[in-house]
Amino acid sequence: MAEKSTQQYLRSNDVNEKLIASIDNGIIILDEELSIFYYNKWLEIHTQLKEVDVLNHKIDEVFTNINGKTLKRKIKTALRMETPTFYTATITKYLLPIKINQLKISGFKHMRQDVSVIPFDKEKRLVALIITDQTNVTNTNNLLQSNIKKVQDLNNELIKERETIDERVILLKIDTNNLITQTSRAYTDLLGFDKESIINNDYFYLERLQMPVALKEEIQKHQREKKVLKFEKVSLTSEGKEICLLSTLVPQYNQSAQHIGFIIFSENITNAKLLQEHQEKLLRNSRASAMGEMISMIAHQWRQPLSVINTIIATLKIKKELDILEDHLITSSYNRIEETVSFLSETIDDFRNFFKENKELKRVPMHIIFEKSNNLLRSEMEIYSILYEEDIDEKLLITTLQNELVQTIINILKNSVDAFKENPHDAQKLTVKSYESQTCITIEIEDNAGGIPKDILQKVFEPYFSTKSKNGTGLGLYVCKTIIEEHLKGQLTMRSRDNKTKTIIELPKNVVVS
Amino acid sequence: MSNITLTEDEKDVLQELMNVAYGNATAIVADMLDAFASLSIPNIKIMQTAELLNELHDLKGDSYFFSTQAFAGEFSGESAFFIDNESAQNLALHLELETDEDLQDAILELTNVLTSSLTTRLAKEMNTEVKFSLPSISKIPLNEMDQNDSFKEYSQVIVIDTQLNFEDQKINGEIFILTKDGSIEWLKNQLNNILEAMM
Repeated sequence: MAEKSTQQYLRSNDVNEKLIASIDNGIIILDEELSIFYYNKWLEIHTQLKEVDVLNHKIDEVFTNINGKTLKRKIKTALRMETPTFYTATITKYLLPIKINQLKISGFKHMRQDVSVIPFDKEKRLVALIITDQTNVTNTNNLLQSNIKKVQDLNNELIKERETIDERVILLKIDTNNLITQTSRAYTDLLGFDKESIINNDYFYLERLQMPVALKEEIQKHQREKKVLKFEKVSLTSEGKEICLLSTLVPQYNQSAQHIGFIIFSENITNAKLLQEHQEKLLRNSRASAMGEMISMIAHQWRQPLSVINTIIATLKIKKELDILEDHLITSSYNRIEETVSFLSETIDDFRNFFKENKELKRVPMHIIFEKSNNLLRSEMEIYSILYEEDIDEKLLITTLQNELVQTIINILKNSVDAFKENPHDAQKLTVKSYESQTCITIEIEDNAGGIPKDILQKVFEPYFSTKSKNGTGLGLYVCKTIIEEHLKGQLTMRSRDNKTKTIIELPKNVVVS
Repeated sequence: MSNITLTEDEKDVLQELMNVAYGNATAIVADMLDAFASLSIPNIKIMQTAELLNELHDLKGDSYFFSTQAFAGEFSGESAFFIDNESAQNLALHLELETDEDLQDAILELTNVLTSSLTTRLAKEMNTEVKFSLPSISKIPLNEMDQNDSFKEYSQVIVIDTQLNFEDQKINGEIFILTKDGSIEWLKNQLNNILEAMM
């Protein structure tokens, strides 16, 4: 009974009118000429305009932002089709300028609206505009779009980075059974294999010919312990060329921290290896040529003491024949011979020490370094009348690889001596000085043997470059620079002005040699 | 994927119905555009969605405006309208539109007019009614079309090639009416009813 009475009540009242009054949409009834015939409560509240104030007014005069031509077209079409036409919030944004004051909608000043233009009365040519607030949806949509854009940008960046990694990083991935699951393009390009021919192959099987047993065991041990391992190995390209790789084995885990295999990153060190071998060869060659030069220096050095011994022996011989040999002369002659022989022996010791492989740092006075360097050159300097001046504090100590530094200094001094030989003059002078600052010890060697032209000066440290007319290997200064800069971590420079050439060696006080 | 296909007779009836509906749409479009316009006799094809995606791949346009509008009722689905850039610019020129927004609004309107009038008329011929949702528009490169998952929801597509001819310019477009199996079954039924009535 109750139901029936409710139904009767609803039928006796204007349900539509009540619903329209409380509906959460704007409703306007317009004719083809845009005159307003109905303006509901929702619109009164949102636009703060009373229905009585807008009735019979043209909507594009009340809201001047409305394009009357477009609206007329939509009305005409809706009436003609007998189905609705629309304005959408995504394109038109809004029809009526209703201001919004919600804090969370930061981007919009006006309510975003979907508008349906519904044919209302075909005879009277009336349409109803149903306005729906789409601000929240549009805002969410905009946020979504901007986030999609960000994700797309990030994705593009990731793709680019992945491509770069694929192109540049020599990488391969293996699973827990050592089967290759992935290779980078850099890897396949380097080795000249097809990706397909490598994938699903056993890593150790693939490397069986070039991998020493000890290395394989070392890798397997690290695999069992899931530890990182750095190792050097040789791989063969598809053309049988040897490539030297410095590889790092890194355990790989998935998102649930489950161990899924290993990544092997590699660096192609073939060229670096070749360079290293080349340098070692050069150093060996330079030692051999230095030995040759030093033997010739020893010959110079020995000439004078040998002639002293010769003279003493001759004197003794003559005096003996004349029977005037006295005991004290014999004693003094013995002593003199002993001294001279000991000098000769020292020279040989220096020579032998110099060629001993000694990589230990030693703290020595700087003047000793020069004494050892000069021992082999002194007589040559005397013969060619080269004035040698030394300004080195006797207390100045240096921690260094003695032999290597002596070899360098001999080389530089010998270059000066040779320069004087080629360009002799009356005031030949060789000056050396050494001093210390807070961080380094500096050695300066200067000669006035004519100087070096600028274009040649730029090349003097290049291997096989020589200006000497004979017996120049062209390795001297290149080796000097290698020793000073790579072994002793210092700097070697050369300047030339007027007729002088100055070589400057700067060595760190706290030296850590390789 | 649907196995429901239309027989040759059913296709013929549908083609006839579409011709009627299309004639109606032409008149409305002419009214809307306030100009003399003629629509070429439509070429109507019915295909599986997968075939449609293949066909879209073959189109060599740089970008298209792509608008869709869903419709509900016994016969339900989504209609889509493709219009190439050049045609869209022609439309803008004709309607003296100034902004991109106005152009997009006009394309939506054209979509709405073409698909509503077509679908409404088609529904009317088959004694039913349809209701339309708001259309939406996007401008997308064709090669991304097969990533549009909503297309894959549908099984059969009615494709209508159309060309609006104005005195001085042309507007080319393609209308697709995408339907799901349920609607195709209903459509098949209705077409058979019409066929029987004709006997």
